[in-house]
Amino acid sequence: MTTILPRAAEAARARPAPTLRQRAEPFRLHRAGVVYAFALILLTFTLAAEFTGRPFYLSPVNSANILDQTVQVGILAVIMTICLISGNFDLSVGATAALGAGVTMTVLNAGAGVGVAVLAGLGTGVAMGLLNGALVQLVGVNAFIVTLGTMTGVRGLLFILTDGQSIQTDHSGLGDLFTGVLPLNAKVWVAIAGVVLLVLGLRSLRRERQGLVASGHGPWMVIAGVLVAAVSLAFLPTRWELTKQVYIFLAVAVLAWLVLRFTAVGRRLYAVGGNTEAARLSGIAVARYKIAPFVLNGLFAALVGILYVSRFSAINPQAMSGLELTVLAAAILGGTSLFGGAGNVLKSVVGALILFTLINGFGVLNLGANYQDLIKGVVIIGAATIYVLAERRGQRGRRVTDAGGDPPPEQPAPQTERNTP
Amino acid sequence: MSGPLLEARGVSKRFPNGTEALRQVSLAVEEGSIHGLVGANGAGKSTLFKIIAGALPPTSGQLRWRDADVRWNAPGDSRAAGVSTIHQHIPLVPTLTVLENVYIGELSGVFRKAPLLRRYDELCDRLGYRADPDREVAHLPLGERQMVAVAQALAGGASLVCMDEPTASMANPEVDMLFAAVRRLRADGVSFVFCSHFLDQVLELTDAVTVLRDGRVVTSAATSGLDEDTLVDAMVGRALHAMEERRAEPLPDGAPVLLQARGLTSPGRLDGVDLTVRAGEIVGVAGMLGSGRSELLEALFGADQHCSGTVAVRDQPVPHRVGARVRSGVALVPEDRSRQGLVPAWEIWRNVSLPGLADLSRRGVPDHAAELDRAETAIRDLGIRTPSAETPVAALSGGNAQKVVFAKWLYGDGEVFLLDEPTVGVDVGAKADILRLVRDFAAGGKAVVIVSSAFEELLAVAHRIVVMRGGRVVAERLAGETDEPELLALASGLTTVTGASRR
Repeated sequence: MTTILPRAAEAARARPAPTLRQRAEPFRLHRAGVVYAFALILLTFTLAAEFTGRPFYLSPVNSANILDQTVQVGILAVIMTICLISGNFDLSVGATAALGAGVTMTVLNAGAGVGVAVLAGLGTGVAMGLLNGALVQLVGVNAFIVTLGTMTGVRGLLFILTDGQSIQTDHSGLGDLFTGVLPLNAKVWVAIAGVVLLVLGLRSLRRERQGLVASGHGPWMVIAGVLVAAVSLAFLPTRWELTKQVYIFLAVAVLAWLVLRFTAVGRRLYAVGGNTEAARLSGIAVARYKIAPFVLNGLFAALVGILYVSRFSAINPQAMSGLELTVLAAAILGGTSLFGGAGNVLKSVVGALILFTLINGFGVLNLGANYQDLIKGVVIIGAATIYVLAERRGQRGRRVTDAGGDPPPEQPAPQTERNTP
Repeated sequence: MSGPLLEARGVSKRFPNGTEALRQVSLAVEEGSIHGLVGANGAGKSTLFKIIAGALPPTSGQLRWRDADVRWNAPGDSRAAGVSTIHQHIPLVPTLTVLENVYIGELSGVFRKAPLLRRYDELCDRLGYRADPDREVAHLPLGERQMVAVAQALAGGASLVCMDEPTASMANPEVDMLFAAVRRLRADGVSFVFCSHFLDQVLELTDAVTVLRDGRVVTSAATSGLDEDTLVDAMVGRALHAMEERRAEPLPDGAPVLLQARGLTSPGRLDGVDLTVRAGEIVGVAGMLGSGRSELLEALFGADQHCSGTVAVRDQPVPHRVGARVRSGVALVPEDRSRQGLVPAWEIWRNVSLPGLADLSRRGVPDHAAELDRAETAIRDLGIRTPSAETPVAALSGGNAQKVVFAKWLYGDGEVFLLDEPTVGVDVGAKADILRLVRDFAAGGKAVVIVSSAFEELLAVAHRIVVMRGGRVVAERLAGETDEPELLALASGLTTVTGASRR
């Protein structure tokens, strides 16, 4: 059968509406914990700002600021999540970002146009990703070791390229292209987004009533759509000064989410990470799905490097050291599994936002930068602990997993007996 | 001692989700006896095992050990008392040597080999079998690992050894080896609980048998008064093994050749194998563990990268790549379901649609409704016992999970089905379902190659049987013209039939 199966009319009506428990699934602690944590942190800072007589914490200026600060780690957290889902690991993104930036600057200083320079930088990143991917997938060296090696080696390459000095440029082309502000009429656009959500929710509800397959999220989408539209019309500014880089960041995140959530490519990526052998024996080109995330990581690392130099017009060879660890922290906060097969890029984005909100909040509230890293560490470990505990509690209610042999029947025994043909 | 060694009195287990895994189960294991425990998947065997091992507390009822009430709250408690449990997936450390594994419980301080070796030799005398103490466990065949696990249990001072499916995917000589050791130890005063799907082995080895069904004891009797019919009837409450007695009708002449392999060679695995399968034909591959039977299927599926030779489907040569073979209509149901066949955390529908995702997608976006339809059709067609298509496959029992692996290939363009041990770890009822399914494939004009350790299954389902040994095809027989002893002899390289296996 190569075509879509035709749906039998009676089968269509037989599909029951989801139970409340199924509907509530996305809100459970181990699924949405990172969002709750983010909301809690925002609330804390907002209240703290109010009580200490400082300006409104979530003002358009400050919120745009947080987003802008998150751009680099945010973009990389999205791509790192893809890499982690595929069952791999990449430590080399910080070094690759710096190298991509260095190459771009060097080409630019050699007199080439901005387009050529950017392509050269991105190409360098792709090449690094291919190298990582080939060594991991085709040769079979452990990803942690390979990328630890390329992280160190690439940094060394940058030292050779720059002779240990900072590279600067007088060329303004990069800055023109990648920096600056594109004001957004948040009141209108967010309200439109809310209305779209409302319409999608109503559509989902209608499909449910007709007995068609639906996500079961209809009610939430309707409520959220109405809330978003109302809040944006009431409170959001008509001029939200977001930088160009924020738009790039949000576009990358949404695109990656759509691909992973809704396409066959995304499904196969999760399959490859969830059980590589089963995916291979199901006819999936596993090598492609294992190497591509490394290439994406290289490409977007180079992009992040270019975004970085477009701000500062200079890069020293130590720039963006340790970036990869912040990126991994964001992905872990977002609940991405380090063993592959599970993760959500939007939650990783929220993870990145948490990290930078903490930095921003400590600065704005003048709480002392000394405590920042301690708090970040506590938040990361706390989040991971909560995920593990909430997951375990969630499973205990459902069934006892069995390592040794036959699991107990899913249903109570009498029902099992009735089902026996 | 007056009473039995271990006694369970009215043990019940109710899980928090309401599942009653055990109801009023009573069981008595006499000292120096082998007690068989049988039941279909989900009958409660594993739960009872865990309660005996102290890994799960019973909801009600009492466990007695050497005439005294005991309450074991952790596996350590039961082990200290002298109960050792060997689970189906043997918990040995693959990177340590045999000796280190056997004495892993008492390794401390400085590792001194000489005294351990002396004790190991004594232990091997009791066992009647000696595995090389310096070999890494990872390099041992499955049968030897089981022996090492038994040795480990004895070294820990066990007087009751509980074995869960020890002979699953073991070849017959290995089974004989294990049984000889178990009998020897019984004479020595050690007791065993032997849990298995292989009823002939249960009848052969045990002194008494307890049959569980839906968490209740339905039969508990001395083995001498039982036969396979009564056991099967007790397990499933119906006589369904009649179909296993049937032999396939000979294939009509002139059926087109679907799969043709020539000179399949892979270093250390296969040595020039030719195979031809026609439409509507079921070819059984008989062989011991390591004979090259699974390797042959991998080569046919394109999963062996070092393989040379040609494979043609409908006279079209297909390169040695999984993707190409799948596109040409070859499907593999692998030996190890959870490791090779399924993504355990995924729901049934997501697993079922995985190979056919391209067909189920519109412009790269999977059609969720079509996926659910396919999964629900599979649940109906194959009789998969599950509340819904949304159940994660990790929550299914062995037989039902195996049916999901079948379902993955059932609704695509599959024409050639390669089945590797499709009935391992599957209960009697599901086994019959799966064999029926295999016959239906053939009746529908597909070609099937089936590998199984259970030769009587091959005889029941296949038209033709090829026997493999050392990576070669050593013989070929029509199913109607051979029998189990002959296959066994051919597969093990014997000229006359020996072995303790009952016929």
